[in-house]
Amino acid sequence: MSENQNQTPVVRCRDVSRTYQKDAIPVHALRSVDLDVHAGEFVSLAGPSGSGKSTLLNIIGGLDEFDGGSVQVDGVELDGLSPAALSALRLEKIGFVFQAYNLLPVLTAQENVEFILQLQGIDKQQRRERAAQALDNLGLGELGERRPGELSGGQQQRVAIARAIVTRPVLLVADEPTANLDSATTEELLVLMARLNSEQGMTIVTATHDPMVMSHAERQVHLSDGRIDRDG
Amino acid sequence: MIALAWRNLWRNKTRTLLTAGGIAFAVFLVTFSMALQGGSYEDMIKAATRFYTGHAQINQRDFVTDSKLEQTIGNAAALRAQLEKKFSLVALPRVQAFGIVSREERSIGGMLLGIDFAAEVAQLDLYDDITAGAIPTAPDQALVGAAMARNLGAELGDDIVILGSGKRGGVAAMALTVTGILSTGQAELDRNLLFAPVSSVQDAFGLEDEVHNLVLVLENYTQVKALAAPINDLLQPDQSYRTWQQLLPEVEQGIELDRVSSAIFYYILLILVSFAVLNTFVMVIFERTREFGMLMALGLRPWRIIGQVQIESLFLSFIGVLLGSVLSAALVAYLAEVGIPLSAMGGEAAQQSMAKMQAGSVESIYPAFSAASLTTAPVVLILGAQLSALISMLRVRRLNPVDALRAE
Repeated sequence: MSENQNQTPVVRCRDVSRTYQKDAIPVHALRSVDLDVHAGEFVSLAGPSGSGKSTLLNIIGGLDEFDGGSVQVDGVELDGLSPAALSALRLEKIGFVFQAYNLLPVLTAQENVEFILQLQGIDKQQRRERAAQALDNLGLGELGERRPGELSGGQQQRVAIARAIVTRPVLLVADEPTANLDSATTEELLVLMARLNSEQGMTIVTATHDPMVMSHAERQVHLSDGRIDRDG
Repeated sequence: MIALAWRNLWRNKTRTLLTAGGIAFAVFLVTFSMALQGGSYEDMIKAATRFYTGHAQINQRDFVTDSKLEQTIGNAAALRAQLEKKFSLVALPRVQAFGIVSREERSIGGMLLGIDFAAEVAQLDLYDDITAGAIPTAPDQALVGAAMARNLGAELGDDIVILGSGKRGGVAAMALTVTGILSTGQAELDRNLLFAPVSSVQDAFGLEDEVHNLVLVLENYTQVKALAAPINDLLQPDQSYRTWQQLLPEVEQGIELDRVSSAIFYYILLILVSFAVLNTFVMVIFERTREFGMLMALGLRPWRIIGQVQIESLFLSFIGVLLGSVLSAALVAYLAEVGIPLSAMGGEAAQQSMAKMQAGSVESIYPAFSAASLTTAPVVLILGAQLSALISMLRVRRLNPVDALRAE
């Protein structure tokens, strides 16, 4: 066991299940899933469509509900948390990277990154410094004043990563982060994420179909029919 | 958040400009129309009260219903002086008597009004309608309604005799020379009225320092209700103070009817524009569902997203309100100077309508702002826009971030 694995995991799922009703037919998206993600791990959740990887990622990210079991993020039990408490947890502890970047189109790259710090109530001067630093670290120092529409897909996704990590979250959740990128840009982004993981110890959980993403992750968790069928 | 709201507003410039333009148009239309109405009401009230009735009248209480000769106000001169000294007004004494008016072989019934010609001519417009001759200047002279003169076959310089009952039951008789013919265009007045100096009528009908009416012309007619209490304090219990609203109910009712029917139109227009704003924000929800999902995923609570869009709605309505108010203010300021000729607002029909309300002297309408005209449309539309945005955005409370992030 590594040193990290002796500590309390950043994510701890026990016997997690999730059932949807689709056209009055129950769909078992997750069935009794157990998963621990330790600090500093880079985990990819892989599997075919409908395997439950996005559902598991959303549950870990506090975005989706679960029917049974227990999920803890940084020691906080998610079951029973009020919507307000879940929002606060996401804001303070989790960084999100979405497939479609989801930047605010009317704000510049710098302002998009600052925005989440503003939500945390951080003062203006500190916001500016931290956002500029985050963009600089991701090679976007010169593009801070550009709006998303003036950036390439890869640049937008890097701004999204800057927004996700600027709050110094305990967990970075990325849902298909490379789905809209070409292979060269995907490679660049994955190198960046791997660097964040290795140099800053950022814990990353990503859901993906992309073999390139899987190959950069140190741990691959494969799901099928709502169950983990391979971990490692 | 404020800067973000402002920038969000311009994400779809055409839609924002169209919606703000709709608000501006509604504000302009309602504000200008209300100013026009307010101005026309003011002109109408001033014209109607200045014609003959005055802003208020003091009578012996029973005279209002019975109109008997003995139902008078005593010590009229002292009361008149007291009123004029204490308040910013002019009090015009009037005596009113009924009798048979004769010239040679012809006799007809008529109403004789004893008035203070000099004071009345200075205050009222009725005497602008003298079509022949001049106002009486001697005690034995009379001003006669045109139809009465015609019925009597009387012309300027002719003598007429009035016979009636004096206050103490005796015969009251007056011989007067016609010095002026009055043609107001109002058949009842022209057929029944003749005017003579008040002191002559008092002497002939056995009235001492008594009048039937004190017609009050105020410096500011809007004070007419505020003065009711202090003036009533000066009056005897059997005397009454009546405002122009009581004396000319048709004017007030006409104004009220116009106000209510216009208000219905205005509110329909404002509601329609609010629906256009509602439509705008329904579109906002559809277009920005994924963005709202992202904001919720990042940790923004739904009420903060709703608040954000409420600010956008506030900006939108402010732009429209500002534009509409500036345009209407400019137009009202211009027309308040030059006026709108009544002939341009319905021609003869409008003039006849004014004449019916004794406001025939109104030739032009001058729009005038009031607190209501300035605030009604802006307040309703700002609140309407807020409500429209809120109704649309309440859906955000039920939005699931996962579903919202999948929205197209």
